[in-house]
Amino acid sequence: MSVLGFLAGRYLVGLGRRTHVATVSAISFGAMALGAAALVVTLALLEGFQATIRAQLAEAGVHAVLRPTSGRTLPGGDWLAKLRARHPELEVRASSGGAVWCLGGDAAVPAELEAVDGLSRVEVNRVLAAQLGVGAGSELTIASPKLVLTPLGPLPMRRRVAVAAVSAMRPGDDRAVVLVPTRIGAALLDLGAPNTVELRARDVTQAWRVASVVQAELPKGVEVVSFAELNRPLLAALTLERAMIGFGVALVMAVAALNLLCNLALLAAEKRADVALLAAIGLPAARIRRLFVALGLGVGALGGVLGTLVGGVGAWLLDRTRALPLPRGVFIVSHVPFRVTPGAVATVLAVSLAAALLASLAPARAAARRNVLEGLRYE
Amino acid sequence: MSDALVIARGVRKGYGSGERRVEVLRDLDLEVARGEMLAVAGPSGVGKSTLLHLLGLLDRPDGGELLLFGSDVAALSVEERARWRNRRIGFVFQFHALLPEFTLEENVAMPLLIAGQPRRSALATAAEQIAAVGLGHRRTHFPDELSGGEQQRGSVARALVAAPELLLADEPTGNLDAANAEALFETFEELHLSRGLTSVIVTHNEALAGRCGRTLRLTGADVEVGCSRT
Repeated sequence: MSVLGFLAGRYLVGLGRRTHVATVSAISFGAMALGAAALVVTLALLEGFQATIRAQLAEAGVHAVLRPTSGRTLPGGDWLAKLRARHPELEVRASSGGAVWCLGGDAAVPAELEAVDGLSRVEVNRVLAAQLGVGAGSELTIASPKLVLTPLGPLPMRRRVAVAAVSAMRPGDDRAVVLVPTRIGAALLDLGAPNTVELRARDVTQAWRVASVVQAELPKGVEVVSFAELNRPLLAALTLERAMIGFGVALVMAVAALNLLCNLALLAAEKRADVALLAAIGLPAARIRRLFVALGLGVGALGGVLGTLVGGVGAWLLDRTRALPLPRGVFIVSHVPFRVTPGAVATVLAVSLAAALLASLAPARAAARRNVLEGLRYE
Repeated sequence: MSDALVIARGVRKGYGSGERRVEVLRDLDLEVARGEMLAVAGPSGVGKSTLLHLLGLLDRPDGGELLLFGSDVAALSVEERARWRNRRIGFVFQFHALLPEFTLEENVAMPLLIAGQPRRSALATAAEQIAAVGLGHRRTHFPDELSGGEQQRGSVARALVAAPELLLADEPTGNLDAANAEALFETFEELHLSRGLTSVIVTHNEALAGRCGRTLRLTGADVEVGCSRT
């Protein structure tokens, strides 16, 4: 152990011999620990909720979309069949379609018809459901641009269908959409090659990887939109929320660091004569500065480590014991979720160290620059 | 070439500025030969401690030339001055003899630890030094468990642990009763002789000053140098 570690360690242990400095140091230590614990619990809470939201997104949504790089339809060929064969772990739903009119009640609205591969029922998205005032069990009429000859002359082809479900909106998509089985779509429109292909991992935890898995196997003219890109606005909002709330709570650490700064200044004043004596017997100013930085890190970083430990274990227990229940039917989770991640722990430890270091610099500099002779005369 | 360990030529030192400026040392000329024991005496405020601080590289002269160990101290960097204080100069102060959080042994070992010596060997050397000043049985005691005389003997041990060439003592007996002052001074004399030290001791105690080889008497206006004993 270097002489600085020896001195710093003894000064910290020896604090107990001087009640007032020991008390202030204990407060600094406690403040750093409390700040770190608050930050860990807050980050765990945010991560808990956000992980739940991300899991819900992955559970309910599409994990990647293949679309043409130009034009409205994907290129032909057997690449889609090969993709299906090579990746049994993925659900692959190709859809094609075009513009139609949907009539329901007294309203008629333009909509996008999507004939979805493998779909066995008719679904409308929320925009169309709201515009027509229809829901599960309602009926609506789809009118296509295809004409049929009638005794009254050529009329648009019409098909009355029963709505089986209102499907979730795709992020960023505000079009009115009706989803139909391929056979209905083919009857209403001249379906060509698919417009889009939706990919979904059977194991939803793999949602983030789907795009990268298929990326290399796509032919020219096809691009893949990843799960992160599909949900970019929401994910960006979650990231921003975490950053801003984390920053707000981190201000507690700033207050604790200011307290630590005051404590070190007090310690530097009290140890003025000792510091002068150490300088007189050959401890250079640079090492005196490092001694006080070590003292600050000793109090601040140990407080941060303890707080991180307490906060992390506390958050884990709160989640494990489901100590904070939420009303069923109102929230998508049954209890307030906490999730402690290595990243959050590393962040809090880094913030604690940085705060302790910054708080130590000014007192350390002042102690190192103090006049040795004045210190020796100080009684 | 002179055999003097300390050479001061026209050294000046003052404090303050303008009308408030006080010249403490004016054109001081002094030589301290290797192995000499010099007492510095005089009333308060004439610059005894200031002289000691200059010799101990704790302060810089305003003018003149000061040579220690044959080198001009003005050319020394801050780091070199600290290194010399650590290895070539031993200090004994009137106050703050020892650091309160450390045992006597650790206090005495401190210059060696600062110099980078491993703790085990530093403590072993310190233990020998403590025995040399007659405090072997108090090695593991904290300063507040030692008497004033013992604390000062401890600070003498610390001053000598790194085997310095020059020992500087600033009124080391100032806080001690006559018996303790006498005992401490005997320790000084013994170590000075046995280790071939060059010592400069600031003291108000005329009797003790008289036991040094030479006395430098500062009066504020002039410097008198007297030979106390041969």
